[in-house]
Amino acid sequence: MNAEATARLEVANVSKTFGTNRVLSGFNMIIQPGEIHGLVGENGSGKSTFVKILTGYHAADHGAAVNVDGRPMTVPIQWSQIHKAGVSVVHQDFGLIDNLTVAENISVGGFQKSRFARRISWKHQNEVAEAALARINSDVAPTSLVGALPVSQRAAVAMARALRDTPAGSGLIVLDESTRSLNRDELIEFYEAIGREVASGTSVLLVSHSLLEIMLVTERVTVLRDGVVVGDSLTTADLTEPEIARLMLGKSLNKIERRAIEHDREPSIQVRDLSGDAVSAINFSIDKGEVVGITGLSGSGFESIPYLISGARAATSGSVTVDGSTVDLTNATVRACTKAGIALVPERRERDGLAFEVSVRDNIALPTVTRRGKWWFLPHAWQEKVAMESADNLGIRPRDSSLLVRQLSGGNQQKVLMAKWLTVGPRLLVLHEPTQAVDVGAHQEILRQIQKVAMDGVSVLLVSVETMDLAEVCDRILVYSVDGSLSEATSREPDDILDMVYGHSDVKEMR
Amino acid sequence: MTDRDFRKQFEDVTVKPGEVLDAGDTSLDLGAVSHHVKTTPEPTAWGEKVRWLLSRYALILVWAVMAGYFLLVRPSTFGRIAAFQSIFGSQSTLVFLGVAALLTLSVGEFDLSIASISGLSATTVPVLVSLHHWNVAWACVVALLMCLACGAINAFFVLKVGVASMVVTLGTGTFLVGIAEWISSSSQVSINDPSFARVSLYPILDLPISFYYGLALVLLLAYVRSWTPLGRHMLFVGANREVARLAGIRVDRVRAGSYLVASLVAGIGGILLVSSTGGFAASGSAGYLLPALAAVFLGTAVVQPGQFNPIGMLIGIYFLETGIFGLELLGYSGWVQDVFYGAGLVVAVAIATIVRIRASRG
Repeated sequence: MNAEATARLEVANVSKTFGTNRVLSGFNMIIQPGEIHGLVGENGSGKSTFVKILTGYHAADHGAAVNVDGRPMTVPIQWSQIHKAGVSVVHQDFGLIDNLTVAENISVGGFQKSRFARRISWKHQNEVAEAALARINSDVAPTSLVGALPVSQRAAVAMARALRDTPAGSGLIVLDESTRSLNRDELIEFYEAIGREVASGTSVLLVSHSLLEIMLVTERVTVLRDGVVVGDSLTTADLTEPEIARLMLGKSLNKIERRAIEHDREPSIQVRDLSGDAVSAINFSIDKGEVVGITGLSGSGFESIPYLISGARAATSGSVTVDGSTVDLTNATVRACTKAGIALVPERRERDGLAFEVSVRDNIALPTVTRRGKWWFLPHAWQEKVAMESADNLGIRPRDSSLLVRQLSGGNQQKVLMAKWLTVGPRLLVLHEPTQAVDVGAHQEILRQIQKVAMDGVSVLLVSVETMDLAEVCDRILVYSVDGSLSEATSREPDDILDMVYGHSDVKEMR
Repeated sequence: MTDRDFRKQFEDVTVKPGEVLDAGDTSLDLGAVSHHVKTTPEPTAWGEKVRWLLSRYALILVWAVMAGYFLLVRPSTFGRIAAFQSIFGSQSTLVFLGVAALLTLSVGEFDLSIASISGLSATTVPVLVSLHHWNVAWACVVALLMCLACGAINAFFVLKVGVASMVVTLGTGTFLVGIAEWISSSSQVSINDPSFARVSLYPILDLPISFYYGLALVLLLAYVRSWTPLGRHMLFVGANREVARLAGIRVDRVRAGSYLVASLVAGIGGILLVSSTGGFAASGSAGYLLPALAAVFLGTAVVQPGQFNPIGMLIGIYFLETGIFGLELLGYSGWVQDVFYGAGLVVAVAIATIVRIRASRG
């Protein structure tokens, strides 16, 4: 990087106060052309406040200065001006509209209208879309529907929209948690695709919860804690993940104590001949107090396993035995499985896990209301008690059970979801991607909670693509291969597990 | 800047599990991590309380101001017990329809046919009694069974066939008005039976007994909603159906049940209506739909702001009726009803929304 070059983005002394609460204080940042710059911090550390100031959603406190390519922007920021100067944003989970075409999604906000009829020229829009897509080496057809595209192509569409108005080699793209739903493979494709654009001089501000992603793709990283910059444009290559985590949290994370399991007894959970969706005839067992992980290539079908064994989706064959009593999964309901002691913590907390517009207390108490209450009377006191106990056990913050789930951070929402299912006292706890889109602190707390639950004698099935999580908490890891078989991982190193997941042929040789 | 090989970078990563977390600290105590917690300045407990009360009970305040104004300008008429009676004694059909609307809306369904179902039962009873010389009790039973059947038809199309509830109930609602007009030959059929009239008009403490029916029904629903497992289940079916299903709730049963019970309640409302008025023209049933829905939405501005709640709905009904009654005393009539229903709904809910947003901002 040329030191004399004008910085792409230069931000000085940005503060933001809500009432008497200062959420961002004296924020500075310099991003060079062609740089991928990371911005990390726990939830509430002020990073999303900064993005909102940069996009003109919030007005910064007096005294802030923002320059793009050396040109000062008016403060408070006006989106039209800063966008014209080259700043664009890719929103969380891309912000695409599924039932519109690729060209329509790319053109939103920049439609070319004909002079008299004010009619949108679709031919022109398709050309614009194609040109933008070509810049990131994507060959998605402008006329295809976005809803039907795989995640990697959706990412491309979102990027193309951000690149639409900036000439090649200029501009700053803000990735605001945009990549959080991408798995490892899709991430690689994504960064490969934007690599050329970045090399030609376009800058990227990457806001992400994934320290791994930050470590791998950024050159420098700015770390925020409680609204203050605690790591000022540190060179990523000189850092390790734990060091960044320590900066973010202001303290160290510690490793969870492992414990031994008695394998000499009959396994308490046995899954036999399970088929349904893309899964066919798989068998496995879990001991009392054991954590078993299942992983595989995303999209290969192993993601159905948690839903099949908890009655959420109908299986075509198979049964699960919990401590001697067997549930037939072909016509099982969630109700029957819950009764047998199986609890499911599903993947997408917003869609399947929690009611966001309902209070934390009501969400946590939901699975037990029938059991704890009479059909004609349901006391309120124990609901409050259960909610507060869970809040204390899992460290749910703020400690106020009357808040709506929507008002909590992602990590705390995930803790509420786990708490909800721990209240039923399950004998088999089934978790699907329990650490998806949560901050580092919550991530550790959730993994710690999984271990704790297992130590209390609960069998745990953890279905996830996060090999590091699996390696950390699982006693055994089963890898689901594309041909539909489960094989036990011979090593607990995350890299070896990845090799098994990706290099299917090697797996066969190993066995 | 050189082209970077991201794939290689990802593949080169060799972070061992221990490494990520390896640190010598004791336990991870999230309580100790300085989280970003809102530190609003200690507000005067008083101001806080007033704001809280205002966000929940502003509508009651407006109601009181409005009643006070009418009392001031028309003390001779508005101040009399007769005014009180005509506000509180005349709305029980609307209360029943409001409960019916609330039952379906709170589980995430739309039922636009409740007013027509109510009209059907209000037409069937006098037709069977006066034209076909049935016993009143049997006529009521048959009318209610017909209403249940309507609810079952709605539930069938919405749940089994999967048609949008708005479409289904708009259709059945129109259909049922037609059926009611057909069986009554498009005219008002009267029923003259003093003992039947007493079922709704028997006075207790100067108010007709039907007022107490409505009150009891609303209290029952309020109890079920917050003090029974069924009520919790309804809340979650309304808030997020998939979450409810994965919690083991029989979602379709709750939804079907809400259609059936709503139809039954609407039918009873219709019987009370015809009992108190002595006759009903089927073509008038559509006029009951908007007031009932308006009251339900108005109710979301009181007691439990942002949520459908029966007590709020009851307050909404009497708020609207007080306004209309007072305006009629001032000499406005006819058109004023619609104007007040429409404007009152939008303004009241808008104010409640603003107050709530302010309150939650702290």
